[in-house]
Amino acid sequence: MKLNEIINKIFLIEIFKGLLLTLKMLFSKPVTIQYPFERRKIHDGFRGRHALVRDPFTDKDKCIGCMRCTTVCPSRCIYIKREKTENKMVVTDYIIDASRCIFCAYCVEACPVCALVLTEDFEYSSYTRNNLIFNKEQLLKNWDEFASKWTRDVYFNKFWQPPGIDPSRWPKTKREQKPIPIKRVIEIKKEVADESAN
Amino acid sequence: MDTIYVIAVAIVKTAVYFGILMLHVAYATYAERKIIGHIQLRLGPMVVGPHGLLQPIADVVKLIFKEDIIPIKVDRIVFRTAPLISLTAALSTFAVIPVDKNWVIADINVGLLYVIGIAGIGTYGIIFSGWASNSKYAFLGGLRSAAQMISYEVALGLSLVGVILMAESFNLTEIVNRQSELWYGMFLFPQIIGYFVFVVAMLAETNRLPFDLPEAETELVAGYFVEYSGIRFSLFYLAEYLAMFCMSALATICFWGGWTVPPILIKALPLLGVIPGIVWFLLKVYFHIFLFFWLRGTLPRYRYDQLMAIGWKILIPLALLNIVVTSIFRYYS
Repeated sequence: MKLNEIINKIFLIEIFKGLLLTLKMLFSKPVTIQYPFERRKIHDGFRGRHALVRDPFTDKDKCIGCMRCTTVCPSRCIYIKREKTENKMVVTDYIIDASRCIFCAYCVEACPVCALVLTEDFEYSSYTRNNLIFNKEQLLKNWDEFASKWTRDVYFNKFWQPPGIDPSRWPKTKREQKPIPIKRVIEIKKEVADESAN
Repeated sequence: MDTIYVIAVAIVKTAVYFGILMLHVAYATYAERKIIGHIQLRLGPMVVGPHGLLQPIADVVKLIFKEDIIPIKVDRIVFRTAPLISLTAALSTFAVIPVDKNWVIADINVGLLYVIGIAGIGTYGIIFSGWASNSKYAFLGGLRSAAQMISYEVALGLSLVGVILMAESFNLTEIVNRQSELWYGMFLFPQIIGYFVFVVAMLAETNRLPFDLPEAETELVAGYFVEYSGIRFSLFYLAEYLAMFCMSALATICFWGGWTVPPILIKALPLLGVIPGIVWFLLKVYFHIFLFFWLRGTLPRYRYDQLMAIGWKILIPLALLNIVVTSIFRYYS
């Protein structure tokens, strides 16, 4: 054993080093975010609750029932119900099982008309599983709730134009997609009251 | 008439002591959670009251109203008396601890022996609870506690012999007075080895980390008090924190000069003499309590054989060496 090691052992140098470190930590700033009272900043490209974009001009969803999202979904949680009337496909219902979703946003990237979006809402926990299976009506309502809280005038989702693919290979509608003007249907105050009632 | 007067004064003093002690224990739990939290870059309790200041009160209320569960197969009488033994032993030690000049409930001549002896009785509470609970975890905790207490009480007692040799008295007030006669005002400097042994032994005696083997959360769930709940559970906690305060007070009195300030400091800064003794005493006790939390936030738990090795192979020889050196020094000066 070297002299250095002996001195280390007798005077407990390592323990004192540890004590010094913890003392330093004691006086440095804690990293805790006290969640219900303060929230961390949500960054661009956050993938939260699903919504179908309500077209500001027609007040309806933009889905054309092309089934691309259903095909690309890795967890197979998107179900589209279509009906053929007068040689025309009509989407009667659009269901996303959020309890099975893995939030990969492949559906958003695949959608040729930018009808689908993963919003920045993340507080939608529920006591029943049924509340987590969103139908078309609920998905449009999700968009209204999200749009009402959106502070800017226009909205554009990062995943609508997937950056890995050359823009010339995007569908035309995707290439020409403009940021959507926001229509605030629900007043924010009412929304807050609803949240506390839940 | 005189006897009644003496008894009345003792009762009043005890009541004041008791109230202050309970408040200290309650806020020691708060301080512990805050300090450990900030060491780990957390915030600790923040919700009840400003900065969580009312947390201990909320905890007490919760513990009192919790259901007191007694398992079917326990030894009922022993199960019920065990926390009382722990608590009574921990509380009784404070009878002889002086917090200021003439501020002591019982100024007896064998104060130091009394404190060590009574602190030893507290072990019975732990062993009884481990035995009566009829549970493996509790029993293991009780066994470990017995072995640990026996090993470390030796080191604790021996480390104080140096102080006794220096002060030539067992009386705690006398020990403090002797220290204030020295120009540096503390036995800490000549008895540094004794102080080191005392600090390590006091951690082990109060079952605190890094020597908390009797209640090791990760191995024994909660050790000897797994089966306890509600108010009985809190009595054990109370006893543990009281023991911490007792050991801190003992360290303050025996090594840090109690309520006195080193004369050299007063000479340098005469203003320090104005501050009442109780403030100095409490400051020194708080430092030791902080040391408990600080060490808990820093060191991991020792293994059982390491614990025994430290006790018997390092601390006791060190304490004996300290006694020999002190005796030789005292004999020739």
